[in-house]
Amino acid sequence: MISQPAFQRLRRIRQLAWTDYVYPGAMHTRFEHSLGVMQVATLLYDAICDKSAEILKSDLAYNKDGLGRDRQLVRFAALLHDVGHPPFSHGSEDLFPAHDGKNYKHEDYSVAIIRSELRSAIEEHSLNANYGLHAEDIAALVEGSAKARQPIFWRDLIAGQMDADRMDYLLRDSYHTGVEYGGYDLKRILTTIRAIRSRGGHPPQLGVSRGGWHAAEGLVLARYFMFTQVYFHKTRVAYDVHLRGALKKLLPHGRFPLPTGESLKSYLRWDDWRVLGLLGSGKGGADGTCLRSRNHYRRVYETPEVSTKKDFEMFEKVKRRLGKLVAAEESAAKSWYKTGPPDIPVVDDHNPKDVRPLSKYSSVVRGLKANNQVFLYVAPENFDSAESRIGEITKHVRK
Amino acid sequence: MSENEARLSLFPVLASKSKNGCMGRTALMKYMYLLQTVRGVPLGYHFTLYSYGPFDSDVLSDLSIAEALEAVKTELALYAGGYGYRIRPGRNAKWLERRAEKFLARHSTDIDWVVKKFGSFTSAELELVGTIVYVDQEAISRKKPTSLDQVARLVHDVKPHFTEAKVLQYARQLANERILKASSKGL
Repeated sequence: MISQPAFQRLRRIRQLAWTDYVYPGAMHTRFEHSLGVMQVATLLYDAICDKSAEILKSDLAYNKDGLGRDRQLVRFAALLHDVGHPPFSHGSEDLFPAHDGKNYKHEDYSVAIIRSELRSAIEEHSLNANYGLHAEDIAALVEGSAKARQPIFWRDLIAGQMDADRMDYLLRDSYHTGVEYGGYDLKRILTTIRAIRSRGGHPPQLGVSRGGWHAAEGLVLARYFMFTQVYFHKTRVAYDVHLRGALKKLLPHGRFPLPTGESLKSYLRWDDWRVLGLLGSGKGGADGTCLRSRNHYRRVYETPEVSTKKDFEMFEKVKRRLGKLVAAEESAAKSWYKTGPPDIPVVDDHNPKDVRPLSKYSSVVRGLKANNQVFLYVAPENFDSAESRIGEITKHVRK
Repeated sequence: MSENEARLSLFPVLASKSKNGCMGRTALMKYMYLLQTVRGVPLGYHFTLYSYGPFDSDVLSDLSIAEALEAVKTELALYAGGYGYRIRPGRNAKWLERRAEKFLARHSTDIDWVVKKFGSFTSAELELVGTIVYVDQEAISRKKPTSLDQVARLVHDVKPHFTEAKVLQYARQLANERILKASSKGL
């Protein structure tokens, strides 16, 4: 699977787009991340099978063969969940075409690739005789389709509060950027993760035993810190704006091809190398120039990380006053990496009926609010003039 | 915030129209799903299926933002079935509603519909209803007609803690009310 051209393409898709303009070590790719997600998903799966065998058997009717088959299914889903990423990962996702009034997401491309480009590699491999997996089984688990049937229980390991994706990217991004914010105790999570039986007609869910709530808290905080310090870093975000602007000029009709038929094949020909080649030859318009010269838009105004009604009213005044000077407006609420209120269940191993949300134990988690910060950017040559206009308003407010 | 304020404004409105002026997180999630999917309210969420029904983490991020704006307030409460959340309108609810006045007026019938139709459902029932509708919608998007029996079998596979007979009972009710599209012909 790893040798397939569609997977090898991930070697040419950087994990964090142009983050190296801020943190020079951030040159890692979706390729290594995908391998890491598969490894973490495997560790989590094995730990759950070990600690929650009784629930898996009685509530989800698993036997040894079923667990063996679904282990392989989860590994494939973890390995391939990002195979549809566009060049520079999330940085260019806004340029996906629309359908039913919404833009496609990279997951739509991942499942289309699994169903087409990778189908025979999955289904016709001699080892698959042991598992009888179909490309559709993997695609259904990645996209969240009812066709996944019972194994949909494992979807939380692919895309959930405690998924292998998040557990890998926090550690990996932290390592490559050189910051310490993404650290948390993965080993402790592996010894305390559980399938938890719910009451009131709900299905079993993934959580941690009581001894692991600090590890779960660490994971939540790592995500919070990485968001403020790396993913929503003002300069990093500015380069996402320039990347989108340049790609609009480079892509046919300013959009990526559709995730269907021949269009999908042409989509797969887009990777970082191709974009960098085009940028290097002088294409990409004004935004291409900004990317080549590392001369980005400057953040001139920001609301607080947790903005209130008053902050937004002030923001609107500033935005109106800046008028056409505003080159870009970027909101944390629209970021792919945004954080929400965590809701990880914690179970008491000695009293399995005692299940509480993490926020019941952790006052820190209880106090966390989603970041709804908004940044306003201006061109470098307009920065002084913009600052002075903002100064007039804030001075007036202070008076 | 302006792009999201329409959907954020629904939170306090739905809470205030719910029994005792509050609703839980599951109710919020499934109301949003049903409003977008069944009634076509343009909310822009990307729901996908989990064993606990259709879910989009953006709804919970929006909830946290609505809390920061004090448009809603949330508290943890202990119920017979375990811990859950109570979401109530906050002191800035009216401010947010005024900002999204036109949107709320345009969809007032939809809002009343979802609360009236599903307000008395338990969170487990809402998860089941959401899953049935999701399966029906998948059949539509794949342009594959399906029967209520097929829907019930698939939903039972996803949610084995509900018997096929129980799923079929809820599916029939939804089909009778023309909430299911692909499988209504199976009546």
